[in-house]
Amino acid sequence: MNASYVGRRLFQALLTIAFIVVLNFILFRLMPGSPERILTRNPNISASVKTELRERWGLDKPVIPDQFVAYLGATAQGDFGLSYQYRGREVGEVLGSRIWPTVILFGLGEAIAIVVGMGLGAYAGWRRGGPVDYLGNGLSLVLYATPYFVLGMFLLLVFASTLGWFPTNGMLSAGARYDSFVDQLLDFGHHLVLPLATVSLGLIGLYSILMRSAIIETLAEDYVQTARAKGLRDGHILRAHALPNAMLPAVTIVAIQLGYVIAGAITAEVVFNWPGIGTLTVDALSTRDYPVLQGVFLLLAVSIVVANLLADLLYGLLDPRVRT
Amino acid sequence: MTVETIRGRRQWPLPRLADPAAPLLEVEDLAIDFALPNGRLHAVRGVSFRLDDGEALGIAGESGCGKTTTALSLVRLLPSNARIAGGAIRLFGIDLVPKTERQLARYRWREIALVFQGAMNALNPVRRIGEQIAEPIELRLGQPRDAARKRAAELLELVGIPRRRAAAYPHELSGGMRQRAMIAMALACDPAIVIGDEPTTALDVMVQAQILQLLEQLRRDLGLSLLLITHDLSVIAETCDRVLIMYAGIVAEEGPVSRVFTAPRHPYTQKLLSAFPNIAADRRTLDVIPGSPPDLRDPPPGCPFAARCPAVMDVCREVMPPEIRFADGVRVACHLYPPQTAGTAAPPVSVAGLAAPASSPAASAPAEIIP
Amino acid sequence: MTAGSVPVGDLRGARLRLRLRGAREFGARFVQRRDGLVGGLILLAFGLLALAPGLFVGPLESVVSATGERFDSPSGEHILGTDRAGRDLLNLTVHGTRVSMLIGLLATLVTVFIGALIGIVSGFIGGKVDTVLMRLSDFFLVLPTFVLALILAPILLDIFGSQAELLGMRVTLLVIVIVIGVTSWASTARIIRSQTLSLRERAFVDRARVVGAGPGWIMRRHILPNVVNLIVANTVLTFAGAVLTETTLSFIGLGDPFQPSWGQLLNQAQSDGAAGLGAWWVLAPPGIAIILVVLAFTLVGSALDDLLNPKLRGRR
Repeated sequence: MNASYVGRRLFQALLTIAFIVVLNFILFRLMPGSPERILTRNPNISASVKTELRERWGLDKPVIPDQFVAYLGATAQGDFGLSYQYRGREVGEVLGSRIWPTVILFGLGEAIAIVVGMGLGAYAGWRRGGPVDYLGNGLSLVLYATPYFVLGMFLLLVFASTLGWFPTNGMLSAGARYDSFVDQLLDFGHHLVLPLATVSLGLIGLYSILMRSAIIETLAEDYVQTARAKGLRDGHILRAHALPNAMLPAVTIVAIQLGYVIAGAITAEVVFNWPGIGTLTVDALSTRDYPVLQGVFLLLAVSIVVANLLADLLYGLLDPRVRT
Repeated sequence: MTVETIRGRRQWPLPRLADPAAPLLEVEDLAIDFALPNGRLHAVRGVSFRLDDGEALGIAGESGCGKTTTALSLVRLLPSNARIAGGAIRLFGIDLVPKTERQLARYRWREIALVFQGAMNALNPVRRIGEQIAEPIELRLGQPRDAARKRAAELLELVGIPRRRAAAYPHELSGGMRQRAMIAMALACDPAIVIGDEPTTALDVMVQAQILQLLEQLRRDLGLSLLLITHDLSVIAETCDRVLIMYAGIVAEEGPVSRVFTAPRHPYTQKLLSAFPNIAADRRTLDVIPGSPPDLRDPPPGCPFAARCPAVMDVCREVMPPEIRFADGVRVACHLYPPQTAGTAAPPVSVAGLAAPASSPAASAPAEIIP
Repeated sequence: MTAGSVPVGDLRGARLRLRLRGAREFGARFVQRRDGLVGGLILLAFGLLALAPGLFVGPLESVVSATGERFDSPSGEHILGTDRAGRDLLNLTVHGTRVSMLIGLLATLVTVFIGALIGIVSGFIGGKVDTVLMRLSDFFLVLPTFVLALILAPILLDIFGSQAELLGMRVTLLVIVIVIGVTSWASTARIIRSQTLSLRERAFVDRARVVGAGPGWIMRRHILPNVVNLIVANTVLTFAGAVLTETTLSFIGLGDPFQPSWGQLLNQAQSDGAAGLGAWWVLAPPGIAIILVVLAFTLVGSALDDLLNPKLRGRR
């Protein structure tokens, strides 16, 4: 792939990240009495720690450039200060402990949704019309209009509270002891089903609508007529001609929606008390734990930018026309 | 070149069901209509023609006359709301109309291939052209991939594209080269007939000339039979042996190019030809044919050109004119040429200089028709 | 242009009549479409509820004035049951309509205003201004409102003080409006900018320039009327997005516990543990209301888009 294409995308991503970092810095300086207030307001840390923090973050020095530089240095090292809520623990450590449940939930959800959602959408686009298409389309539309947490609450109500098939909250049963790793894994899986179903269904709604209209548009293109004129079989035309072209708008829109999907997945966590970034955020918001909020913001924002960058590069791989 | 030589040159044997004595292509009384939300559109209403080995037949007419529909129907590439309502399409004597989609697929590209307007999107933009040319060789002829790739490179050379450009994507080629690539692709399975659907529209004049020259050369060297669909009469004049003029779903006139273009019989043909600017003639206002073709959802019982014909008679509006064949090989459907004159060398009736039936008279100095 | 000029008054009247007739025809075509009709009816129903909730269910019940038992399932007295504090769900949901729609509306107005302004200015003036503005919009396009709200909202709330009232509205709600408005304008701006770019090249703009019209005049009197179609179709979809975003933000706790928007009701339900207790009636009304409204907006939006921007007509 063209080096300048990669270079341009990379540069834009870095620029955006720089902007995010600066924005973070400025916003928190807007508050009355900050940053002194933010970093040292914590009732859970001793006076000596407070002094040490003041020095580390240069709070006694002027804002520009000293505090800004100190901020940049600290951020680069992953030092976001100390959390209020978690008794003075390093924010970085708090984030680290909560990130994996979210990654697993979101990663698996995306994987399932891409395979199932895009597959269904492609099939619906190929075989347009008929009751299955209308039903599927209607269902996808409803799913798309439903916020993730509403979907989660519904699933919880039906499958956990009413039918009792799945636990109602958490990642592992509270206070349980396991005979083996496999047992723990099974319990984990048992807890994972409903949150995963929530995230996946929401995404499937989006991806199937997306893929369906991408395929419909592709099938109207001239080269599909050429492929039919060649006497090629339908399945081959779909796979070798329609899909590679339909992927282009699909990847673009997936990338655009990425941010919203991450936000949605995080709110879904709250419904199930899944111990990830989502529940951490809600707690931090209610206690105004600013260091944690800042950390979450930076984490999410940078992740989204990186994900968009990867999607852009993937697009460059798929469409030879942008590479020149 | 005889039919035997041409057929003998084929890389692949004739289809199993083929009758070696039958003409290459015979279309008899073809009728095609489209199902619209408010009725049926009768796009093609009884079209017949024949194509022999090594011949080039041009089908001309204005937009909506049914020429593209006719051509696409030969390989049944019509949209889903279209159906063949009647008639026969005989390829080597095999009637393609009653075949199912699956049976028909056998004949696509291997016997009848198409060259679309390559200018825009007829080539898949995300695949290399070499692959696209090799695709039917591999999948339809069952050749292994590298043999197919090799053959694709040869075909590119044949149409004048250096073989190293097989790795190019369509957007990396100029319009003319894309069209050549489309021609190479059409030749991939060594078809009996190549249909060109407006192959030179959207190209500039110089490139157009090159493409036509290429087609002519391929025709000579490979013994190709060509069906050229276009609204541009000059293209047909240059490349084709015979021409078929269509109007509102029927055949108006058909015959050798040398006869039809110099001594047109049907009033529509005469008007068409006089609408062409002649660079050698004196300056004059161009002839315009006032009015527009009839609505084919409810076609008139008689000749469809009646409303615009300067020589219209009462019978034209009531009765569809029968097709009459003349001694010079021209076929016409017009009441000016009654059945008694069939088989004779009756001269064309000139309608130039006659006033048009409706509104504005087309101001013109008559072009002399030489009988 | 020959003699016989039309008197100016007549011209304006004629234009107005033409516009009215155009609007009537448009309305007729709109209701012919099933999706537009269904969506429109749903929105009309919710609009009525939002305008005068008191008319339908009486004043908003608060924790103090609650009328029912805790977590009562639906019954004759309370058709949709009661929540943990005994408040009637029907009452809460209907009043919630007003809050959700109001916030959605205000946020949409802010979004569309900023988006259209930036879009037109950026597209028309071009050059460095355009580059900078588009970089800015890229930033807001990539980051969803949710993520930006995580830091914007608490900060704004702290600056204003959460108990205060500003412009007749509680600060918490105002903050949500500002947050949504300030972060969602990017896609509107992009759409309008590209339309402005193509309009800029048209002849009537050149003519205006030759006559001596300044850029502000041209943007207001020539560009703006021609992008209104786009703005309208875009506004409907923006409204849907705003309602959804408000719901999400309220759900995670940035809403106002005294103004029960649907998101706030769901937030309350979540902290009351309604789902775990099987109290489906606390979750269903606000949940279904959200889905219906968003669906309705999507249907109307796509109908409007098809009718106002007919490039893709004939595809279906």
